[in-house]
Amino acid sequence: MSNNNDQWLKELDEQAKAKQEQFLNGIASKLKRSRVTEKPQRPFRGAPDFWGQFQLNVDEKLDMFKRNFEAAGGYVLRAATLQEASSIIVEKANELQAKYILRQDVAELERLGLEQALSSISVRSWNDDEQEDWKARAAEADIGVVLADYAVAYTGSLTLLSSKSKGRSVSLLPTLLVAIIPKSSVVTKLGEVLSTFDEMGRENLPAGIHFVSGPSRSADIENDLTIGVHGPGIVYAVIVDDIES
Amino acid sequence: MVWRMKVSLFITCLNDVVYPKVGETMMRLLAKYGIVLEFPNVQTCCGQPAYNSGYWQEAKAAAKTIITAFADSDFVVTPSGSCAHMVHNYVDLFKDEPEWQEKAKQLQGKIFEFTQFLVNVLGVTDLGARFPHKVTYHPSCHGTRLLGVKNEPMELLRNVRDLEFVPLPFAEDCCGFGGTFAVKMSDISGAMVTEKVDHVIETEAEVLVGLDMGCMMNIAGHLRYRDKPVRVMHLIELLYEGVTASNEHATNGA
Amino acid sequence: MSTQPTALKGSVKERAQLALNNDFLRKAVRFTTERLRSGKLKAAEEHGNWDEWRERGRQIRLHTIAHLDYYLGEFANNARENGVHVHFADTAQDAINIAIKIAAAKNAKSAVKSKSMVTEEIHLNHELQAIDCEAIETDLGEYIIQLANETPSHIIIPAIHKNRFQIAELLSKDAGEELPPETSVLAGYVRKKLREKFLQADIGVTGCNFAIAETGSMVLFENEGNARMVSTVPKTQITFMGMERIIPSWTDLEVMATLLPRSATGQKLTVYMSGITGPKRTTDGDGPEEMHIIILDNGRSLQLGDPEFQELLNCIRCGACLNACPVYRHIGGHAYGGTYSGPIGAVLTPALKKNVAEWDDIANASSLCGACYEACPVKIPLHDMLVSLRRRKVEAGRDDPMERMGMKGFGGVMGNAKVYHNALKLGKIGQKVLVRDGGIRAKIGPLKGWNAYRVAPSISKKLFRERYNSLKTELGGTTKLDPAIAARLEQWRSKQDGGASH
Repeated sequence: MSNNNDQWLKELDEQAKAKQEQFLNGIASKLKRSRVTEKPQRPFRGAPDFWGQFQLNVDEKLDMFKRNFEAAGGYVLRAATLQEASSIIVEKANELQAKYILRQDVAELERLGLEQALSSISVRSWNDDEQEDWKARAAEADIGVVLADYAVAYTGSLTLLSSKSKGRSVSLLPTLLVAIIPKSSVVTKLGEVLSTFDEMGRENLPAGIHFVSGPSRSADIENDLTIGVHGPGIVYAVIVDDIES
Repeated sequence: MVWRMKVSLFITCLNDVVYPKVGETMMRLLAKYGIVLEFPNVQTCCGQPAYNSGYWQEAKAAAKTIITAFADSDFVVTPSGSCAHMVHNYVDLFKDEPEWQEKAKQLQGKIFEFTQFLVNVLGVTDLGARFPHKVTYHPSCHGTRLLGVKNEPMELLRNVRDLEFVPLPFAEDCCGFGGTFAVKMSDISGAMVTEKVDHVIETEAEVLVGLDMGCMMNIAGHLRYRDKPVRVMHLIELLYEGVTASNEHATNGA
Repeated sequence: MSTQPTALKGSVKERAQLALNNDFLRKAVRFTTERLRSGKLKAAEEHGNWDEWRERGRQIRLHTIAHLDYYLGEFANNARENGVHVHFADTAQDAINIAIKIAAAKNAKSAVKSKSMVTEEIHLNHELQAIDCEAIETDLGEYIIQLANETPSHIIIPAIHKNRFQIAELLSKDAGEELPPETSVLAGYVRKKLREKFLQADIGVTGCNFAIAETGSMVLFENEGNARMVSTVPKTQITFMGMERIIPSWTDLEVMATLLPRSATGQKLTVYMSGITGPKRTTDGDGPEEMHIIILDNGRSLQLGDPEFQELLNCIRCGACLNACPVYRHIGGHAYGGTYSGPIGAVLTPALKKNVAEWDDIANASSLCGACYEACPVKIPLHDMLVSLRRRKVEAGRDDPMERMGMKGFGGVMGNAKVYHNALKLGKIGQKVLVRDGGIRAKIGPLKGWNAYRVAPSISKKLFRERYNSLKTELGGTTKLDPAIAARLEQWRSKQDGGASH
């Protein structure tokens, strides 16, 4: 069955490649020149030059992140250690009367010890069992717990990179999202994170890179703001001073 | 000292035909600084009505009278930001006629909307005017957005004594004139001028002042239609009245 | 849900009339556009140096479009390396054919869609329904519009013209139960309903805000989370991308991410900004197994090489021009008659359709105030493009014969000052019949439209040029040139000459 699919896709791809040449030649001829095949020179890249001077120290970054994230309806809490962070999650879980928590399958989140702390609640780890339908599991979860790869102060955003152990669904499908952010991962500007993707190169990029800047929202009905439309309606950003503890 | 400069007036067809007082007032005002404007009378119209409607051949016919009229002027002053900006379009308009395009480039470098001329070229911001009335200001779109005239009128108004300035809500919104737009899309234009006049009335100003008689004619027309007694003036008229009244005030007081 | 949205009839003027008489529409559009407009101004000011950022955004887009063959090629090749199936479609029909082929091959019964103007442009939903594949809009505003069987009337807020009562009615019908006209309840219903659809759908359809050439990635901006849903849950993903929606690198994305959300809604960043690089990796637990990107032309390439319209391709679809436009504010989006409305729509619709006759009149729905140009984050001179469209209509001989006659008259009169003066002398006489109290109220001929709302002025008894000579005589004798003024003029003049004169 999949052979047929592969075969058909291969044919489609061959057709597309031929079409591509035609398409691009068409562009060149409309621009009244021959095809450009070498990377074009340009005198600049990215933000205006003065933007490079905009840098904040750690406290300023944390302060700005908090202001922006909260202005968008998110919550920002500080924790000195993972243990403190764990207590925060336990508290929220009880408040929400959560039945089921799903976390990313990473070491730092394992060290939260949620499984032990919340014995009456189901705590599962993303993709630790290949037979499971994880998207469905994520949809059932009350709380999703993720480890942020970065946080951006200027835009009030978390950055989440997907992988085997870091499913995109964990930050998307549950009702409430908790993001653990190592203090050292907080940067000032969006461009600081974006340029790392250029540096990483195509082959090293994950399938999903997600910037999350608060709870899901919409103003489509009479421009009246409503929170929690498709993504999580409640988002906690927990900044941990020392993630190694 | 021999006066070698030729400072000319580009009156614009609207002011020539409907609001000649604006031209007259400008002449009297600048005469106070020793400038008697020349008026090369081969000028007709900047061509904007035809240009904006896509009739560029006809626009060129009008534009050529303007280019010809001011070929030997050192400075050209006009009481309309819209018409001044139209002249800037001549370089593009004549791209297929290099001789005329060259002349257009020359003209572009020496044409000024009135407040630009007064404030930036002559360096005059305070005429000693006195105008004890409640005034609001409509910043015409072409002059403000396309020609960049933003600070000059405000500087002039700021220095008028006893003038109570009240900002116009949503001032930068178009009044709905747009030249032929007001005729072709009359209902949309009507809706826009209605909104503009609602805002003018909101300010409770006695006087509405502006830099472009096209807009003023449009707004005044609707004010009159609704029997609202707001006085509509070009800034030049306000300043002249303010200067004349100030003189009288001074002589009376003395 | 399965029929094509109701076709828009008549001319711009007729549709505008309808809109002008719809009080709710006007109030709603004004309220929302004012909010968005002031949000944008506030955000731009807070960010600072807005004009420098706009210029940078413009340069990035100009450069990319000028080298579009290179960047699109780079993007396609990289995307393919990532495992994406990249397709090229010259026309809307080509794009549809490819999409249908994919859907049919998957035996797809349902497709969930995130907001995409490109898919509206090609009427994708209708075609999918035709092969028994339910096409479900998942953006809240689009979902509402879909239930109403209408097209979106604003690029960012599709249901801007609907009030909560109308929306409650639509959703109640959909729910099979009475829902109160309360935003949170209505949104809550849609969230629950669409959850199921997301999880069951065979195909996820997205648009593309920006493609990143250097890594073959695509970026989506949204606030609700439905674009993430649509690109994470279903097994197959089809992304539609206008061929011009591309930038070179992630570093360049910072500029676009700074300009777009602020211009659209006044936000620093949309709640979700997602960069997708290929289908799921083998060991990933979610993400599409198969991913397609269909790159669409549909008239865009016609703008290439056209110095008056190539900049149109800079557009990042933020909607700021709609929010700034005084005409849009009064007539709303549907009056424009096409997929795209407002100033961008007024130019894009004719430009994409090769300026065919039926789209000529939208270019007239503008007073050329330039607010769109001022609002545009990438400085597209839409006001100039509207004039170009009008000129092309005249050059093609598709102008109104009455107008042509009038303009020929204009040319004749304005081409010669003597003719002009004589015409006015006649006019002065002719108007005597109409003038009362210095004004004209008669609603006849060309005055009909004007005088429906105004009192027209009259031709002055003495034109300025008729007064000049006596004025000059009067002033010439008494004025003495102020030396300071003379100095300023000399100074200014020599600055202009570069010091080369005299």
